[in-house]
Amino acid sequence: MSKMRILIASVVLVGLLASGAFASDLNAYTIMPEKYASQVFEAFTAETGVKVNFMRFSSGEALARVVAEKNNPQVDMILGGPADTYEAGIKEGVFEQYKPAEADMIPERFRSPENYWTGVGIIPLVFLTNGKFLKEKGLEAPASWNALLDPAYKNGLQMADARTSGTATERIYALVKIMGEDEAFAYQKKLHGNIQMYTKSGAGGAMPIATGQAASGIFYIVDALEIQQQGHDVVLSYPVEGVSFGIEATGILKGAKNLENAKKFMDWASSKTFAQLLVDRKINYIPTRTDVETTNPALDVSKVKLVEVDVAWKGANRKAFVDRWINEVIK
Amino acid sequence: MTQPTAPHATSKVSLLKRDPALLPALIAIWISLAVFVLYPLFRLFLTTFVVEGQISFTNLAVVLESWYDRQAFVNSIWLATAVSVAGTFLGYVYAFAVTRIPMPLWLKWFLGAVTTLPLISPPFTSSIALTLSLGPNGILLKLLGIGNFNFYGFWGTWMSETLTYFPVSFLTLAAVLTAIDPNLEDAGLSLGASPGRVFRTVTLPLSVPGIANSFLLLFASSLADFATPLVLGGHSFPVLPTQAYLQITGMYDLRGGAALSFLLLLPAMAVYFLQRFWVGRKNYVTISGKTGSRSGFKSKGKFAEGLVLAVCFSVTAFILYLYSLILLGAIVKVWGVDNTLTMENFRYVFTHGKKAIIDTLTIAAVATPLGGLMAVVIGYIAQRKRFFGNRAMEFFSMLNYALPGTVVGIAYVIAFNERPILLTGTMTILVAAYMFRYHAAGIRAVIASLHQIDPSIEEASSSLGAGAVRTFFRVTVPLMIPAVLMGMRYLFIHSMTAISATIFLVSVRWSLLTTRILECMTELQFAQACAFSVVLILLVFAATAVLMGLTRFATRRISGEGGRN
Repeated sequence: MSKMRILIASVVLVGLLASGAFASDLNAYTIMPEKYASQVFEAFTAETGVKVNFMRFSSGEALARVVAEKNNPQVDMILGGPADTYEAGIKEGVFEQYKPAEADMIPERFRSPENYWTGVGIIPLVFLTNGKFLKEKGLEAPASWNALLDPAYKNGLQMADARTSGTATERIYALVKIMGEDEAFAYQKKLHGNIQMYTKSGAGGAMPIATGQAASGIFYIVDALEIQQQGHDVVLSYPVEGVSFGIEATGILKGAKNLENAKKFMDWASSKTFAQLLVDRKINYIPTRTDVETTNPALDVSKVKLVEVDVAWKGANRKAFVDRWINEVIK
Repeated sequence: MTQPTAPHATSKVSLLKRDPALLPALIAIWISLAVFVLYPLFRLFLTTFVVEGQISFTNLAVVLESWYDRQAFVNSIWLATAVSVAGTFLGYVYAFAVTRIPMPLWLKWFLGAVTTLPLISPPFTSSIALTLSLGPNGILLKLLGIGNFNFYGFWGTWMSETLTYFPVSFLTLAAVLTAIDPNLEDAGLSLGASPGRVFRTVTLPLSVPGIANSFLLLFASSLADFATPLVLGGHSFPVLPTQAYLQITGMYDLRGGAALSFLLLLPAMAVYFLQRFWVGRKNYVTISGKTGSRSGFKSKGKFAEGLVLAVCFSVTAFILYLYSLILLGAIVKVWGVDNTLTMENFRYVFTHGKKAIIDTLTIAAVATPLGGLMAVVIGYIAQRKRFFGNRAMEFFSMLNYALPGTVVGIAYVIAFNERPILLTGTMTILVAAYMFRYHAAGIRAVIASLHQIDPSIEEASSSLGAGAVRTFFRVTVPLMIPAVLMGMRYLFIHSMTAISATIFLVSVRWSLLTTRILECMTELQFAQACAFSVVLILLVFAATAVLMGLTRFATRRISGEGGRN
């Protein structure tokens, strides 16, 4: 008749339920969207027989998790996410060094110098604009950074918030490289006058632009193309001054419980098979391997001016830029 | 006399002797509170205030010096106040309509069902529908010919949070209004008072504990909510939980985020103590065991009834409209572009989301009864047993609820990722997070209902020779059942829909529907997100219908017993 006995019994029961040993072939966090990651892992399993359990997070969440779980890693590796996230993780000591078998087929600038991460794809920034909006206003798709300062875009721009989004910091890196730091922040202050909303995630503004709630914004091409491929009336364009690009990386976590399988995945992710998979499945990253041809004209960036930004430089300046953005741009 | 309803002053020793179950119950509760509330927080404090082995306030100082964070503090308080005032008002109007105005049973059910919609869907889902309607170039704005207003920021967040949380207030107040003996109101009416006067001098004062509870719950909910301001707040309206979350996930700054959540503790605690002081001093016994049979409720005046019903129906219509947008989004190919009907999105949910569905249901099914039991025991001891530390016990059992979920989540991850208590990646950590965070409503409801039950009923049982345990199960529990079931319903709903704490606790082994929905949102799979939401809503509806049926059955039994004496 003791209510305590019931309570204790239930607690014990829950513990038993939860502690069942769980052996698995490979556990991963993915920052790459679920719909892409599921295809990637499926193909990996088909080829190697290694089963993958995975979960998708934004880059900030994934990093916060692996740092918190540092002493007892719950997963073996991370797939996707910008290289500067990995650089931040290296400082926290969460990554394991590994050089994939065919790493040399990937240009050195797309790999961690100490082999903590390997770049599997690159994604330039791009302007995404609502097609109907352009027609109504009689405008061409914006072809320079200054075009976005046009009063026609007043209260019409949505782009990511620098405090949360890798897309937003990428935008700042690009502007600083193109204009110089002071100029870049002066420009953003002016741009702020046309902003409707800074979204928390990099892709957050793309849907409002697709539905006409907002007019235009700046995104990674992978998000912009996704919206276009869903059938929305949107236009992609690049500024003549140039854009920078993010490196989509992958890496093994220190203390990985399935280290051999994680290495197997790294090898596979650096192979030509993987790069070809990106192209064949319309996964909108430009492969880092130079021996694969992209078939999607939108991903042909040979005519786009790409600004090289060193990953270490990004990592070193991130905090200062974000602070300056908070105190000068949005204040 | 701080607690007139507590039993007559008894020495602690004799209380323990008379009540042999009390001591083991107390020990078990304190152990579980220590493990799942105090220990994680302690570990979080260490992370925040110990810098390189030294106690340091550097992390806090950084936050206080930032103008943006100070603004977030002010906004949080302002928003929480506005949401709890508006939400409690709406909740009261609904509760009044359902308990006091004669209407067909199906209409009552319908009103109740619709109001749970915002509660049982993750807040960011309705935020999208709200944005499409009232945001820049929104459907409703165009339809009504209103110009754009400042939707992102205070107004959007306030509206969305009020709609999301007022059902909590409705549940709390409906339980309290149901428990008020209608004979008291009838007595007022037959003595010649106008319906308005009876309401002001009888009904309203008797519902004060409910109003205070509702205010506290809503204030705490709004204060801790990060999902809604995350989607609707924009950059111009920062609030503390969002800032804490952004600090942790965006700036990779766990210490700064923890420091921000410290600021959040102050107002949460302030409201908590205010409520204790206010409600704790008054006597609200209406079920005394001495009343005659209960009569039906009399009309409250045509004009007032009309006004109340008008508010209810227009809010209900608005909620239905928002959710039909979500349903529409789930069954068309691409919203606004290709409006052909399709089942494709649901196929996606039942293949890619199958694991999440099963996991979520399992977790909620385990957390709900355990949390309900905890709520009964804690609420009962806190309210009825004057024992050393029972205020502290009640306080700590509410603590996880007052803290922003993100902080609880991070604290759990830090605390339970290494020995001695290794729990990350298990189901236990998710169940514990939900139980200790959302049994708060159950405890509140139990306490509120005990406020209204005269201890003399229990004393009668004891003096007739029944032991304390027997009295508890045969007398007190049946009287508390409606409150407990309400609390369990709340716990279940949150186990299905909450996200802020558990987004850090899901693992490759245990995933949740809500995190899948947020993923779909951030991945621009709007249609799939809508389909997931529809499935989640249907699941919660089906499960809560069972609990609701039980509640009604229990309530009717109690009223019935009242009439038999």
